[in-house]
Amino acid sequence: MGGKVTCTLGEVKNRADLIVYWGGNPAECHPRHFTKYTLTQKGKFVPNGRKDRTMILVDIRETPSAKAADLFLQVRPSKDFEVLTTLRAIIKGQRIHAETVAETGLTLEQLQDFAERLKKARFGVLFFGMGLSMTRGKHMNSAALLALAAELNAFTKFVAMPMRGHGNVTGGDVVMRWTTGYPFGVNLSRGYPRFNPGEFSTVDLLLRGDNDAALILGADPGATMPQPAIDHLARIPTIVLDPKVTHTSRLARVHITTAATGISAPGTVYRMDEIPLPLRPALKSPYPTDEDVVRRIYQAVAKKPAWLPAGKGRRNTEAN
Amino acid sequence: MNMTRLTLKGPPPVPLEAEVLSPDVIASLRHDALAALPVFLGKRQRRLDDFFTIEGDGSDHLEIHGDMERVKWIGRGMTRGQITIIGNAGMHLGAFMKGGTIEVHGNAADWVGAEMTGGLIHIHGDAGGQIGAAYRGSLSGMNGGVILIEGSAGTEIGMRMRRGLLAVKGPVRDFAGLQMKGGTLFLLGGAELRTGAWMVRGTIVCLKPLTLLPTFNYACTYKPVFLRLYTRRLKELGFSVPSQLDVGSYRRYSGDAAVPGKGEILVGQP
Repeated sequence: MGGKVTCTLGEVKNRADLIVYWGGNPAECHPRHFTKYTLTQKGKFVPNGRKDRTMILVDIRETPSAKAADLFLQVRPSKDFEVLTTLRAIIKGQRIHAETVAETGLTLEQLQDFAERLKKARFGVLFFGMGLSMTRGKHMNSAALLALAAELNAFTKFVAMPMRGHGNVTGGDVVMRWTTGYPFGVNLSRGYPRFNPGEFSTVDLLLRGDNDAALILGADPGATMPQPAIDHLARIPTIVLDPKVTHTSRLARVHITTAATGISAPGTVYRMDEIPLPLRPALKSPYPTDEDVVRRIYQAVAKKPAWLPAGKGRRNTEAN
Repeated sequence: MNMTRLTLKGPPPVPLEAEVLSPDVIASLRHDALAALPVFLGKRQRRLDDFFTIEGDGSDHLEIHGDMERVKWIGRGMTRGQITIIGNAGMHLGAFMKGGTIEVHGNAADWVGAEMTGGLIHIHGDAGGQIGAAYRGSLSGMNGGVILIEGSAGTEIGMRMRRGLLAVKGPVRDFAGLQMKGGTLFLLGGAELRTGAWMVRGTIVCLKPLTLLPTFNYACTYKPVFLRLYTRRLKELGFSVPSQLDVGSYRRYSGDAAVPGKGEILVGQP
């Protein structure tokens, strides 16, 4: 396990003849995805567009995306890991008993047909959404799908890509990765990066009450996180940088209004395939950008006396 | 036997990282040097006596009193001696441990005995997830030693373990024995879903009915003789087990075919 076999959306557009959406509803959540990158676009190696492509949707219910699919596979809730693991076995020619897969909501024949389609593709893509990554099993569901994509490369070209949302979340991961070596869940308190999701990831820190202050940029945890985590944010000094009033800014001690990136502030946003796209502002804003605010906070902190470990000069103080 | 006694003055406001709480570090230290040992409160380096009342000089036996739920890395990499905790223990207890004994009269958090290679950890209460597991990005979890848990445990226990013995008396959550490469995992109180997922080798023994992945195949029903040896060993370590463990018959499943692996899951018959 480990690693992600992936590509850009441009390659998907020009090459992919089998597109699988797993636990996502692009028709409603990513409405331009079908038309710009995956289904209807004509590509260099798929000149007839939709006619040259096959789309399979795997989900726990029939969403509007199913209308665009050639094949819809309805799995039982929280059985994605079982289906993915069984597919991994089937593509390797392992024996699976029909009665053991019944609990997944699919038959063995359906899974064998699915596996055969995956192996016969010339260029396959597995797109996965929060219906996979945020249901029971969480990161292991994603790991199972990424492992399947990697193993399919023994037969054909296959890639996997998460269907990212909420603005520039990919940018957060990418920048953390090239600055610390890890995409998220990083702790720098000992002067070097340590990676341990579950221990250092935001929701876990907040749930355990392990942090005594919070700086929130471009996110609204007050609207998305579990209630105990939100309660902790309300208890501690929370600073929010956001162009608008959000659930989090209402419970924060300080809300600094900033210019909206891409509208009144320049910047770089990372597309879901990790391609950086520069943004040019169309309007002027009376508010500072996120970058300005963070830079000024950093300069103010840097002016304070340096913190030194005990025994190397003066004793450290809480004021630092 | 000489003993060093520490009492937590109060719960730290943020997690305290105290890898110095190990017999290897404290055994040869006098009281003053012990008090000045560095611990980390968030990013700030502090002295051990800022948080603990210390009685006696350093010794091979460390007894710690208080709710250490937020004290991490106790007994990290220890090779000898004994740590007794009267209260709860925080994350990474006994991680990378090579020898000695840790006993917790309370609950323990996640990552107990992660990547340990020797020694004994006995938790008298419940434990969190990732017990005896491999850290993220690491290839192998525990590679020796014994972990005994009298209560329940969380997810991903024994993840990527290669050798050693891990026994849990209460129920455990999902992904027990995930990607196991060897060693023996006893689930005396049963487990939730996806037990043994992606296991390559090793043995999982469960006394309660299990919902297995479709990639495990039934092999046979038999009475494994080797379980008598494990039963005797567990009893020697003060871990009581039901008589069913060594005399009962088991359904043997092999897998995980997705990897494909040669692990075995033994499910006890009522």
